[in-house]
Amino acid sequence: MIVANTLFTRVVRNSPYLLIALLVVPVLGGLLGVLLPAFGWFPALGAHEFGLFGFVQLFQTPGIERMVLLSFGTSLASTLLAFIITILILASYFNSPWLKRIQRLLGPILVIPHAAAAIAIGFLITPSGFLSRLVSPWLTGWDTPPDWLLPHDPYGLSIIFGLTLKELPFLLLIALGVLAQPEIGKTLRAQHKVASSLGYCPMTGFFKVILPSLYGYMRLPLLAVLAYSSASVEIPLILGPNTPPTLAVAIMQWFNDVDLSLRIKASSGAILQIVITLSLLGSWWLLELFVKQCSAAFLINGEREYGGMLIKRLTDMITIAMLTVIGLALVAMVLWSFAGFWSYPDILPQQLVSLHWTSALLQMQTPLFNTLVIAISTTLIAIALTLLVLEAEQQNTKTISAISGFIIYLPLLIPSIAFLFGIVWLFEQVNSQHAYVNVVFSHLLFVLPYVFLSLANSYRRLDPRFSSVAASLGVPPSKIFWQLKLPLLISPILIASALGLAISFSQYLPTLLSGAGRINTITTEAVTLANGASRRTSAVYALMQMLLPALFFILAWAVPKFFFRKRG
Amino acid sequence: MRLSKCLNNYYRQLIISLCLLSVIPLSSNVFANEASIEAKSTSRAWHNVEKRGTKQNVYFHAWGGDQQINNYIQWVADQVKQKYAINLHHVKLTDTSEAVSRVLAEKAADNHRNGQVDLVWINGANFASMAKYQLLAADWAGELPNFELTNPTNNPAMTRDFGVPTQGMEAPWGQAALTFYFDSLKVNDVPQTLPELLTWSENHPGHFTYPKPPDFLGMSFLKYALIILNEQQPANIKEKLYQDATVESQAQLLPSLWQFLDKLHPTLWRQGKHFVSNGLALRRLMGDTELQVSFTFSAAEIPSAISRYDLPDSTRSYRMKDGSLSNIHFVAIPYNSPHIEGAKLVANFLLSPEAQSRKQKTAVWGDSSVLDLSQLTATQKTLFAAPKKQHLSANIINIDNTRLLGELHPSWVKVITEQWLTRYGVQ
Amino acid sequence: MKSTLTQKTPSLNISHLQLKQQGTPLLSLNEEVKGGEVLTIMGPSGSGKSTLLNWLVGMLPSDFTATGELYLNGQDITNTASHLRHIGLLYQDPLLFPHLTVAGNIAFAMPKGDKQTRRDEISEALNQVGLAGMEKRCPQHLSGGQQARVALLRVLLSKPKAILLDEPFSKLDSQLRQETRQLVFEQIQRYSLPAVMVTHDQSDAIAAQGKVITLDTLSLNEVAS
Repeated sequence: MIVANTLFTRVVRNSPYLLIALLVVPVLGGLLGVLLPAFGWFPALGAHEFGLFGFVQLFQTPGIERMVLLSFGTSLASTLLAFIITILILASYFNSPWLKRIQRLLGPILVIPHAAAAIAIGFLITPSGFLSRLVSPWLTGWDTPPDWLLPHDPYGLSIIFGLTLKELPFLLLIALGVLAQPEIGKTLRAQHKVASSLGYCPMTGFFKVILPSLYGYMRLPLLAVLAYSSASVEIPLILGPNTPPTLAVAIMQWFNDVDLSLRIKASSGAILQIVITLSLLGSWWLLELFVKQCSAAFLINGEREYGGMLIKRLTDMITIAMLTVIGLALVAMVLWSFAGFWSYPDILPQQLVSLHWTSALLQMQTPLFNTLVIAISTTLIAIALTLLVLEAEQQNTKTISAISGFIIYLPLLIPSIAFLFGIVWLFEQVNSQHAYVNVVFSHLLFVLPYVFLSLANSYRRLDPRFSSVAASLGVPPSKIFWQLKLPLLISPILIASALGLAISFSQYLPTLLSGAGRINTITTEAVTLANGASRRTSAVYALMQMLLPALFFILAWAVPKFFFRKRG
Repeated sequence: MRLSKCLNNYYRQLIISLCLLSVIPLSSNVFANEASIEAKSTSRAWHNVEKRGTKQNVYFHAWGGDQQINNYIQWVADQVKQKYAINLHHVKLTDTSEAVSRVLAEKAADNHRNGQVDLVWINGANFASMAKYQLLAADWAGELPNFELTNPTNNPAMTRDFGVPTQGMEAPWGQAALTFYFDSLKVNDVPQTLPELLTWSENHPGHFTYPKPPDFLGMSFLKYALIILNEQQPANIKEKLYQDATVESQAQLLPSLWQFLDKLHPTLWRQGKHFVSNGLALRRLMGDTELQVSFTFSAAEIPSAISRYDLPDSTRSYRMKDGSLSNIHFVAIPYNSPHIEGAKLVANFLLSPEAQSRKQKTAVWGDSSVLDLSQLTATQKTLFAAPKKQHLSANIINIDNTRLLGELHPSWVKVITEQWLTRYGVQ
Repeated sequence: MKSTLTQKTPSLNISHLQLKQQGTPLLSLNEEVKGGEVLTIMGPSGSGKSTLLNWLVGMLPSDFTATGELYLNGQDITNTASHLRHIGLLYQDPLLFPHLTVAGNIAFAMPKGDKQTRRDEISEALNQVGLAGMEKRCPQHLSGGQQARVALLRVLLSKPKAILLDEPFSKLDSQLRQETRQLVFEQIQRYSLPAVMVTHDQSDAIAAQGKVITLDTLSLNEVAS
């Protein structure tokens, strides 16, 4: 497309480079900032020679094998479990209105921060928690809390539970998103019909016909989920064991230790973490090949019925169980946040007080302020940059290259614990003292991918003929952008903004590290309090973590309805 | 003529005796004067301090993480402003080591007279560090008039910081002692000694635990256990706990601790397979009623937690009969402070009965006083009477007979932590 | 001896069907299609052609209601589940499964059986339609006409009892259209399947040589073949 050379078009044209730079430089720079100390180069400690002593120290840590196994096992198990349940739900409710309903029920879980989800699950499964109270003493005969090992069990079952519950809605939403796309969805549904006409019961039809094609679209999100869960910190910190913890948690503790010489071990650990993540991705790929091989014969053997009713019943039970767990966890948190005296094994507190909310709201003024300022700044920048890049796509009349598309996912695929410390090192080199700026910058890395994902579809689907008509009427590109495209996209922009805000609200490690511990947000406070002295205050903070994104999503839905009604 | 000579002799002797006699009072007056001259010179020295210290700006670097403590320091600032027209500034630290680093940097930059830190709240490893690098003003604590009230000769803890002699470089400010607490509704046979604790835990498994090293509270429990378990050893071996840990002393003193823990762990919460990471979690577990006996350093937090429903109403606190690990926290003056006199005046005020009694009040801070009540006048003692209206848990059982156990030498912390992690750190 | 009623003459019987969309009547039909015959349904969009097909396969959307019965070879299948009706579908898009080879697509449709036998049947069938040797090809790499033929084989080898054609030739150009159409009708005759075809194209209707019913939005007109 031939465009005039105005300020607007120049800015637009260069925006993709800015986007790539903003994503690539910190991530690669961060990796470098961790690679060097890992191999022994740490001038601030007087270490100037490359060597492997960091790795030697790392492998001599007691329990290092357990840490690695725990990280590997919990993320593989939780991703597999989440994936299997997702396809079971899809298969069972494929042609049923229940699919939409389940999507709507599970959707909000997406924006609950991992920390809040972990806290909520903790409330449920701890021995003196809500589940135990519900069945005591009439079922179990307990009148003091039992001494069972959940959460913090050494096999990471609590971690798997938490991660699965959090990843499932994401995978389901991605799958439904794929099915909702007109061409793909229509084709897949038609193929399902063909299978049905050939005698395949709906469930078998789904597994043999739809899943093989659908899987291709789900592969990248699955890998992202796998990569993220292998290095996540919040859920293992709150629900996981600490003798030893997962590798990511251990690395975080080493980095934060007063003893600076542990930094080298921590950097080596970060490299090990990358190796673990890569091996997980490799294992998944091997698993794919294996399944493909095994299923080749299975697909065409002509078997049409595999006990579909049984599987459907199972799926029904799993879905109900999940929704119940989530509902109970929420109820438990609300009860605890208002609880006065609440002795075990009562199901309800003896009295309800508002003390915890009032005192917490007084205490959380600064963290709340920080949370909002950082989130709004980050989201504004992310939205602006995304819109400019998407506009550049239209200006250049081609979508961004596959490499750029991949780079946008980069911060989500590389374990954040690996490069965040390097970014801190980068900040120190640049002598950036402004904690707020550092934190916004590091949040941007995680908000951009989601905002881009969210807006890209809507922007690209804008009928290009609108702009052509306007251009033929002599309207300059900037005016087309501001007065034509943006108003048409108000709803997707608001939703992408709400999503960006939610992602920023939920960040833990970036805030902790880039802010050098000086910036407290609701999430950092919540994680600290989760291991603290007052379960009641912790409940208030966790609920606050959930209310904030919910509030902004409601705004995003309501504002267009009430303020931007169609004119004329 | 002979009678007049006799009379003359008598008179001469009388006069001489009278003269001699009069010298004695005069001489005793001289001694008295010397004594009072001494008294006058001590108070004169202090008087000088008072004169020079008024109207100074004193920068007090102290941990600022607790709002109650910050409020107390604000009250102190108001008082010294009234008394000495001193402006006390509370510089809130996240960690005391920040002040240590600052003075160290100033010394390295040859700033020997104009430091930023006038008074610092400090103890333990930080003190040892500052003393080692000669960052502190020496020999001033004994000058403070109120220091006498701590009865230092009978309370050696006042001049030892984690076993390291203070050498007059620090003045005591407050003390914390390990206090246990329990749920009186659930626990009938409260364990009051360490062996009783083991028996109780065996009879009621799953209701006691301690935070894993290197948490400070967890370490304190282990130190307490180490001291009690080695009580029967000869004095020269026990002494080594207060000295640098050597391979030899470790072999003599540590095995009893590991044997005790090997017996204790299977009876603990989570069968000793999982330990909480910080001391705060213990209070949460008590609130959840998963634990029935626990411990803390700041006894004042118990009534305060009860008022917030974080602990059951039936919670009561007590001190172990066989001893309570206690540590004293101090204030020190860096060598390069430009306001040493003002700092001394503040330190002296901090030791006053008025300031110490207020600090001890649960509603204000709850940090125990370092003053020896036997050194106080009757009026001063009334300041320390407990207020009538407070929760039952604020009355610490056994507090009057508390046998205070001094802290171990800092080197033991690393040793115990490393060996604990090797033995129990990975399940 | 068996009466003529139980003799298995293949037939698809649409008995007094009334289709309603949210209460308003859409169409009514009462026809019997014998094995080897093609019933052609024509009409403008919105006249209910697709709805009729949906009803026939048992996938009527929820805002439609239907009364009437459907008999296949004498059996009442009005309320049978879709996948148990043994009615084959041929769409205008071949809708070959991209993750299976040509042979795989066809094998998918066949009933369970011995591997070798199935392989032989598939090769034989491919030979017959001029696609010899294409077992291992990926469906995406075939031309439109080739895909249509594979789709046809897929339907036929599943041994359906009836076959529905939903504008099956509309995407093919005229030469290919004729060839494919001829092939399809030949196979229908050969297997003696009752067939219902929905189409826009008059020439399709003529080539089918069966009864033609034209639907319009209001009522039903029969046009003599």
